[in-house]
Amino acid sequence: MSQATVPAREGLKFFGRVSASVSHEIKNVFAVINEAAGLIEDFTLMAERGMPLKPERLKSAANAIQGQIRRGDTIVKNMNAFAHSTDEDVREVNLAELLGLTVALANRLADMKQIRLTAGDCEPVSLAADSFDLMLLLHSSIAAALDALSAGDTLAVGVKPENGGASFSLSSPGKDAPLANDEAFAQFARSMGADVGVDEDNRASVLRIQPTARPE
Amino acid sequence: MRVLLVDDEVELVSAMAERLGYRGLDADWTDNGEDAIRMAAETEYAVAVLDMKMPRMGGLELREKLAFHHPGMRFIFLSGHGSESDFKAGCAAGCSYLIKPIQLEDLVDMIREVVGEELS
Repeated sequence: MSQATVPAREGLKFFGRVSASVSHEIKNVFAVINEAAGLIEDFTLMAERGMPLKPERLKSAANAIQGQIRRGDTIVKNMNAFAHSTDEDVREVNLAELLGLTVALANRLADMKQIRLTAGDCEPVSLAADSFDLMLLLHSSIAAALDALSAGDTLAVGVKPENGGASFSLSSPGKDAPLANDEAFAQFARSMGADVGVDEDNRASVLRIQPTARPE
Repeated sequence: MRVLLVDDEVELVSAMAERLGYRGLDADWTDNGEDAIRMAAETEYAVAVLDMKMPRMGGLELREKLAFHHPGMRFIFLSGHGSESDFKAGCAAGCSYLIKPIQLEDLVDMIREVVGEELS
């Protein structure tokens, strides 16, 4: 990306969107834990009244709680990594890691549209960039691509080095490049110094970025 | 009285149905709006408890479809705090809703309230 930075309000809105999505997911985690714990309480109340306890039902409720705690831990870990993306203006960024985190944060958005979102082919590549701005760009491109797809589709996002920079590819099996006709998004990407194009060979949308100059 | 629970969190909605059963309320559940419409065509439900945010068909849209075919059905919404403002914007005054995570006794009271039964 160039040195162009995202307007503060856009960045704040992005941070808000991700935080709202994450907090909603955590609420769901708490709600499931709450009901599983309630079930265990119901079982014990019934046992006090003489009904035999069924160990497999207790085990299943305990497993549900453990599963939700693992889910919640992953959600919070991702949110923590996202929050730390603002620590430095420009740093060396591992793009495969950044892509994985951005995909994880956008998964709820994809779930609501019943689209499978995956990290596709990722080659090792790192470059100097504003991690937060780059996530905003990638998350916005994923959101625009999801808008162009339908329930049941898959969106795969990959990354590879290209001409001293890197390119992200967004593709959906059997579909045209999902950002090809999205002029509104292309304009946004250009304002951030990125270039949106199409890889005709694999019908993928391509988002090309260049390293950001480090501050003096 | 039969109750229909609709929420895309399967572990949540199945546990709620089981717990309502222990409290004398027969509850069926599903994790999507399309199945809910099918189930309501086959079984008479007094109350539907709908999650606000679900893939494809959210709670408000599902309520519209169910109410069209089942004018006597009553509705309660479950909302995460993030969707509470959407809910207030999209739902007429007087709609009943609970914020997740809920206390099951509150839901039982609300179910009885919306169908006009005396609270036990």
